[in-house]
Amino acid sequence: MSEWFDFAIEHLPYVLQGIPTTLGLWASAMVIGAALGLVLAWARIYGSRPIYLAATVYVEIFRGTPMLVQMLFIYLGLPEIGIVFDPLTAAIIAIGLNTAAYQAEYFRGAVRSVPVGQMAAARALGMGQFQGFKNIILPQALRRVIPQWSNEAILELKYTSIAYAIGVTEITARAEKIGYETFQFFEVFLLIAAIYVVMTSVVAQILLFVEKRVSVPGL
Amino acid sequence: MLLRVENIHKSYGDAEILKGVSFDMEPGQSKVIMGPSGTGKSTLLRCINHLTEPDQGHVFVDGEELTSKNLNAMRQKVAFVFQDFNLFTHLRTVDNVAIGPRKLRGFDKKAALDLAYQELDRVGLSDRADAYPAELSGGQQQRASIARALAMEPKLILFDEPTSALDPELTGEVVSVMNKLASEGMTMLVVSHEIGFARQAADEIIFMEGGKIIEQGPPSQIFEAPQQDRTRAFLNVIEHGGHE
Amino acid sequence: MPYLVHGLSVAIALLVCLLSLGLVLGLLLSVAEVYGHWTLRIPCTVFERIFRGIPAIVLLLLFYYGVTDFIEMGSFMAAVLALGLRSAAYQSQIFRGAFLSVPQGQMMAARAMGMNKFQAIRDIVLPQALRMSIGPWTNEFSSELKATSLAYVIGVVELTRQAKYIISNTQGNILIVFAVVALMYFIVNRAGNWALYRLENRLALPGFEHRGDA
Repeated sequence: MSEWFDFAIEHLPYVLQGIPTTLGLWASAMVIGAALGLVLAWARIYGSRPIYLAATVYVEIFRGTPMLVQMLFIYLGLPEIGIVFDPLTAAIIAIGLNTAAYQAEYFRGAVRSVPVGQMAAARALGMGQFQGFKNIILPQALRRVIPQWSNEAILELKYTSIAYAIGVTEITARAEKIGYETFQFFEVFLLIAAIYVVMTSVVAQILLFVEKRVSVPGL
Repeated sequence: MLLRVENIHKSYGDAEILKGVSFDMEPGQSKVIMGPSGTGKSTLLRCINHLTEPDQGHVFVDGEELTSKNLNAMRQKVAFVFQDFNLFTHLRTVDNVAIGPRKLRGFDKKAALDLAYQELDRVGLSDRADAYPAELSGGQQQRASIARALAMEPKLILFDEPTSALDPELTGEVVSVMNKLASEGMTMLVVSHEIGFARQAADEIIFMEGGKIIEQGPPSQIFEAPQQDRTRAFLNVIEHGGHE
Repeated sequence: MPYLVHGLSVAIALLVCLLSLGLVLGLLLSVAEVYGHWTLRIPCTVFERIFRGIPAIVLLLLFYYGVTDFIEMGSFMAAVLALGLRSAAYQSQIFRGAFLSVPQGQMMAARAMGMNKFQAIRDIVLPQALRMSIGPWTNEFSSELKATSLAYVIGVVELTRQAKYIISNTQGNILIVFAVVALMYFIVNRAGNWALYRLENRLALPGFEHRGDA
């Protein structure tokens, strides 16, 4: 055990240098996912038939296929038609597009759970449909969605490790590099397993704190 | 003597629910426990088959003391009918009745089903044998749960407020089944405020208050000439359609 | 195409193995967590937390490169263990929720008849809990189908790895190959969900039928 600690302390700085990449990748993808997810949710609730169908097909495809395949499609496939990304950008786009599909479903469920009377009251005040959505429905729906959204955020934090497969030098890739240099694979992967457990726990605590801060009685 | 209950005590935290309760039952007797709510009647009933572990005291069935060692064997002799039925949700009515004989009494499938149909007939539910509990009315569910108890061929059945979760118009069918069992000689200990059953079928009324037995005796005595003021006051309330 | 079909069969074999391991172990974990003594509960909870906290890729690498230092095994076996143990952690959550949602009166009535705890769990609570688990289990099926693609990183020649080989050999058609691969995952996912939905409806008890559609 103490040998492992010595090993861990020796190699920790190199692995930790990957954390900004991991967290940056995660945060960018989550922002893309939230923005696109909201649009998709809007489209699936209020959209006209073609818009609804397009959004539904998007959600089904991204939820029905593996993220790794989506990432390889973007990183290896799109250059065929002249669209080239560096690995990090490709990973951000892939994870962002993927999480958007999941977030859309959570947003949709949350919007649906806001009582119909809320929109009716907003319209009765003279708000348009979009105003009513933005000012009345969304603030309530967003509060309701936080627990699920937190879950999704933590899942995605773990999924950033998939970017390793297309050569992004986040923490998993750095760990593998150390593995090949030292041939102490077990020790180094144990180390990053611990780092992920710590990272996800910290993020979970922060999100729980946010949830408490923005909560409203009765919601 | 079929059942001997000796000095049962039970507390939850600081609240002493049962403060030393003792009584006996002979085979074939029916006794009804009455008293204001919160007096520990249901707790007493649960202590008798150790669904609730008493803090102190002893329970003997047929001269054998109930202990943690013989618990499951003894419970097969002392059936329990719940206020909220607790039929097994995933089993058809007939399978609810058959599961005891099949899994606990070593019956083969056919014998268990034969017995189950027989017991369902006894409670007037043969025609609902294939229904699932969720498809039965409350009164039917309670009759099915009585059939489930009967299929264990127990020496004694404990009834925990068997009609209090039912709409008033459904209590009659359950009470008449209970009357019939009493007249057939089943030994029954019933927590209930069903005056009709108490007058017609009970050999003895046990009146409890504050975790103790205050008065006991035949229905004629308890209903016509109660010795205690508390008993009289309580009977006044329930006979004239007050709370409870 | 035949290569892709072969890759798909490896992916499905991996899926079946890991889900089976996860099912058996997940059930045991959930029973221990719901009904076990605290000395049993705590290690089970720790196992669950750890395996849910570590990314699938890291677990795959840990088992393939790490554990093989101590125990000899191939990449397929390492993938079954890594993903199967992780799935056990997720499945134990599903089953635990289902056990807890069976009303307490069911256990009480079973015990009042004279069943011991084991009989009551096996004959009364489990059949009800398993029915309730099928819905959430369908999600787990989908997640794990997609997770099999991650075995790519330790060199299991499943569908995604097979696609990569084809691309390297033929130098082109990358978009088409990946589109076909994506379609294959999509179809298996849909077929699995449909079958599980059918199963759920078939086992549904009167009064507890599914409302709404899949």
